[in-house]
Amino acid sequence: MSKVLEIKNLKAKIGDKEILKGLNLNLEEGKVHAIMGPNGAGKSTLSKAIVGHYDVEVTDGEIIYKGKNIVDEEPEERALEGIFLSFQNPVEIPGVNNAYFLRTAVNARRKHLGLPELNAAEFLREMRAKVEELGMKKELINRSLNEGFSGGEKKRNEILQMMMLQPDVVILDEIDSGLDIDALRAVSEGINKSKDGKRSFLVITHYSRILDYIKPDYIHVLKDGKIVKTAGPELVAQLEKEGYGSFEEN
Amino acid sequence: MKLEILNALDGASILKELGANAKKSTAASALAKIKVPHKKSEKYRYFDIEPLVSKDWTVFHPESQEVQSKGKKIVFQDGILANRGDIEGVSVELGDFSDIDGAHFDGLYYLSHLLAKKTVIIRCSKDASFEIEHNFSQSNVLINYRVAIFVDANTHCQIYESFKGEAEGSFVLGGYDIFAARDASLKFIKSHTLEASGYTPVWSSRYKVDSNAFFKLSSFDFAKSNGLNIFKAELKEGANFDASHLLYGTNKAKCGIVSEIEHEGKSSVSSQNAKSILDNGARGIFDALIRVQNSAKWTKAHQNSKAVLLEKGAYMASKPQLEIYIDDLEASHGSTTGQLDEQALFYMRSRGIKEEDAKKMLILAFAHEVVATVDDEYLANKIYAEFERVYYGYYELDCLKTCENCQDTTTGL
Repeated sequence: MSKVLEIKNLKAKIGDKEILKGLNLNLEEGKVHAIMGPNGAGKSTLSKAIVGHYDVEVTDGEIIYKGKNIVDEEPEERALEGIFLSFQNPVEIPGVNNAYFLRTAVNARRKHLGLPELNAAEFLREMRAKVEELGMKKELINRSLNEGFSGGEKKRNEILQMMMLQPDVVILDEIDSGLDIDALRAVSEGINKSKDGKRSFLVITHYSRILDYIKPDYIHVLKDGKIVKTAGPELVAQLEKEGYGSFEEN
Repeated sequence: MKLEILNALDGASILKELGANAKKSTAASALAKIKVPHKKSEKYRYFDIEPLVSKDWTVFHPESQEVQSKGKKIVFQDGILANRGDIEGVSVELGDFSDIDGAHFDGLYYLSHLLAKKTVIIRCSKDASFEIEHNFSQSNVLINYRVAIFVDANTHCQIYESFKGEAEGSFVLGGYDIFAARDASLKFIKSHTLEASGYTPVWSSRYKVDSNAFFKLSSFDFAKSNGLNIFKAELKEGANFDASHLLYGTNKAKCGIVSEIEHEGKSSVSSQNAKSILDNGARGIFDALIRVQNSAKWTKAHQNSKAVLLEKGAYMASKPQLEIYIDDLEASHGSTTGQLDEQALFYMRSRGIKEEDAKKMLILAFAHEVVATVDDEYLANKIYAEFERVYYGYYELDCLKTCENCQDTTTGL
């Protein structure tokens, strides 16, 4: 199976604090990888490092995506190449129309891929179908981006963006946080429908509950800035039984 | 004529020097007292007034011209009434205007009145919606004119003010005296784009809002060169004054608002919100005072200024002030100046939108809040398009709601 993303000896800091301390991770094409770890292990920092967040300074190592080191690439370049992060706390942007924003993003990606841009009618048709699939309230589409959305509505909106943008690698950062059971089910269904055998997922979570809905192929345990264990889905049961304390670096 | 020479004269001499009507002696006395502004005048600290008052101007006095009476638009050409329009319930006449404010804070308010031989007096005696268009073509002259608007009791009007022409190197001095009688309402929407090589306007106005009247002022100033709006608003019992200002300054323009809102009557309400977007060395000005007199208990007065600086050379002179002489009221003021929201910018970039485009979207969103205060959808779209044209340098129609191609499909959403 080919690797779509290879992270080699990644060291990164936020401010003066080193968070990632030589992290190694491979994402296989078409597979679901889950990263689990205690609070403060560096899970969100890893996701931010992959998408090029301004908070995170990569001090060493490589992030190889489709054969190219992207550490110095701008966030929009990474996104256009097909990396998507579903944020733990999506930002509210008053005044930016949700649909207009998404159409701009979709057409930027399509242009990058050499595809014709969608006109307003084509875009709306496609988006409306996805909105229904996700059980989203239709009126959210014409509101300002995430403004006044509940936690569940924000997460659904993230998944809507993912479904419309058709990325190659999807990073889901605590996608289950703040979701009730119905929202969790809807969001998970949206993610599962997006599995096409080529798209890879990196599910970052503190709790194993989400993995009942999105079945992982691999579990990675992240502790103190490093991946300390990689195994199959059976690892979840061990983690639930023993906690993170028993895992040390391989 | 150099305007600054008036500062050496007393009231009578000012009247004589300007050849003004003796009925304007109060204005001349007031000007002799508070003076033509200069670079050290507090209200003009952040604006380049000196070149305007020290230059030897030719005052533009055109031959009398025919005034048309057609359409729903009142038109001024270089300060001269060119079309009084044909608007039901609205009369437009040239006349002597005597109700000059005796206590205005601005010397140019008085100077403008003294220079104006006649005032264009607009009276709205029936509900109406119309446009006032100002055209400028004369270069390197001083153009001065005054307009008085009376909105009769229990009458409801909307006025849209627009501007055309560049008149390179000219100084346009003028302003309004607006009287909203009791129970009247006036929505006054001003959209003004100042091109880089155009005239410099200083509008100095007075608004008098009578008992239970409502005056909504929405001003949109997109400036590539200097311009200043000065006004004083007086609020009687139960009056409501709602002002929103959007300023976009670029190309080292110095531009903005200097205002005083006087709460004189009980239960009067004022709200003043200014948003400024400043780029390329521009300086924004928001020097705004709300004064609550001891006669104005149960007043509500709120004032806020938000500015976004798009580069290091841009500057915002924000000075919101409350002066309160009574305890029993509700009042607040605030001011923030900063850059674009970094988190929002990153979020947009993480979806593949280029940094420059993301910034533009955030700027348009910032501006949108003020544009949204215009209830008239046609005018709101027009103003928004003008802002995009000035900001982007072009206007690209890309609206999900109004595009002919998508109208049918949006109705379901």
